[in-house]
Amino acid sequence: MEVRKVFLSEDEIPRQWYNILADIKLNPPLGPDGNPVGPDDLAPVFPMNLIEQEVSPERWIDIPGEVLNVLNIWRPSPLVRALALEKYLETPARIYFKNEGVSPPGSHKPNTAVPQAYYNKIFGIEKMTTETGAGQWGSALSFACSQFGVECKVYMVRVSFDQKPYRKSMIETWGGECIASPSTETNAGRNALEKDPDTPGSLGIAISEAIEAAVTDESGKTRYSLGSVLNHVMLHQTIIGLEAKKQLEKIGEYPDVVIACAGGGSNFAGIAFPFVYDKINGKEIDIYPYEPAACPTMTKAPFVYDHGDTAKYTPLLPMHSLGHAFVPPPIHAGGLRYHGMSPTVSQLVNEGIIEARAATQLDAYKAGVVFAKTEGFISAPETNHALAGVVEEAIKAKEEAKEKVILFNWSGHGLIDLGAYDKYFAGELYNFVLSDDEIEASEKVFENFPKPQQIKSR
Amino acid sequence: MKEFEENIEQRCPRLGGRVSFRYCKTMGDDHSVCWKIFDCWWERFDVVNYLKNNLPKEKYDMLADSKPKPKVMTLVELAEKAKKRVL
Repeated sequence: MEVRKVFLSEDEIPRQWYNILADIKLNPPLGPDGNPVGPDDLAPVFPMNLIEQEVSPERWIDIPGEVLNVLNIWRPSPLVRALALEKYLETPARIYFKNEGVSPPGSHKPNTAVPQAYYNKIFGIEKMTTETGAGQWGSALSFACSQFGVECKVYMVRVSFDQKPYRKSMIETWGGECIASPSTETNAGRNALEKDPDTPGSLGIAISEAIEAAVTDESGKTRYSLGSVLNHVMLHQTIIGLEAKKQLEKIGEYPDVVIACAGGGSNFAGIAFPFVYDKINGKEIDIYPYEPAACPTMTKAPFVYDHGDTAKYTPLLPMHSLGHAFVPPPIHAGGLRYHGMSPTVSQLVNEGIIEARAATQLDAYKAGVVFAKTEGFISAPETNHALAGVVEEAIKAKEEAKEKVILFNWSGHGLIDLGAYDKYFAGELYNFVLSDDEIEASEKVFENFPKPQQIKSR
Repeated sequence: MKEFEENIEQRCPRLGGRVSFRYCKTMGDDHSVCWKIFDCWWERFDVVNYLKNNLPKEKYDMLADSKPKPKVMTLVELAEKAKKRVL
């Protein structure tokens, strides 16, 4: 019998996160006045211990024992050799993946939800708020809060609230409160309802409600939480790659290629940053964040200051972007639909340390279905983009007759997003790739934006 | 036309679920057209001409020239706005 899975025992779990800010230089986030945003500016929104992590220059940051005790529910996650996929592709490549779908909510997101809940708890915070569209982040945060006895309130856009009852069920099962937005609990919600009592809501209103609930709590014991893009989120996710390094070392392997899908960047950062550290220190390794071909935010777009979110609520951050006004065509991969990438991931692309690649949505679903039929797991739509990259690299290895080692992040299962597969099987998904003219047109939104200095880390 | 707006649907990139074209026409800031509407719908039909023909010129021009606001609405700003709302 061939060995398929590589485990770490619980006492082999990494004890520190890797902070890439120690090894790269970043342009600072800018506020509306053009000046850098300081920690105090964010204090009403996040607890100071997380803000300190957000700006920390320390390379290694200890993972608190209380956090490890919760992560141990599903971590260390298995490193799996995709033997059946290799056989199907007839590739000489050895393909390994980190199975992040084994977490209680079924994705990598609790890797940061858990420490965020912990740091809020020890800062004296009793309630956390957030907004959610599809419900993935909301369910991860609810799970995490339940582990630390922190109240969790999730403002879920009304139309999603009605469409996705299972996410609401998950949030409530873990003790969180999932409330349709607009609600009558905030002024932002009441204002919206006053204008239209039957409104289906919007993400903009939900974010406004979540932040209002946090910053107007007179007790000072409520804070807001975000599940992607920010530095401390990337930091918490690095446990994925740190575990993978240990697991590969156990079997005498080291990857030639590391792949993950890249939306806001957190699951990519999670598996890739520890290997970026090796690459910075001389290792030869190719690292590819995969994004939808229709949204080449890193592959073709300029490096500029842009907002971290489509709602323009976050500070101006240096990143590859097609502009806050750009929205990719309808690709069925909700988590990938960031118009801008995490600043740290953008900086690595900008410096040529990693190389962004794109996969069409049809290639992504095709790869996802092959993966399901060989390895058994049904992937989240966004995870399929990483799989398309894996297939591409495995076929390349076959053509070149090279025994490459490919490592990728299987970031989550798609069992609550099967409607997207239905659309694929019904032939209702299409490939859309931006032309150069379209990209040039989209860049015009940046005419009046400040341009970040093209700094190099070394 | 109303029937068309109600019936044509696709997955909203921000919400992860299906919404009608009518939703996108009304659920932007202040119940205006969502500024993502061109990018979400261009491959389904000629949304540019549709909006050009159905929106007041001023609104269409604002949408088509959707440059960022001069003052960024940051998290910090949003927090400040929230505080002012409850005063």
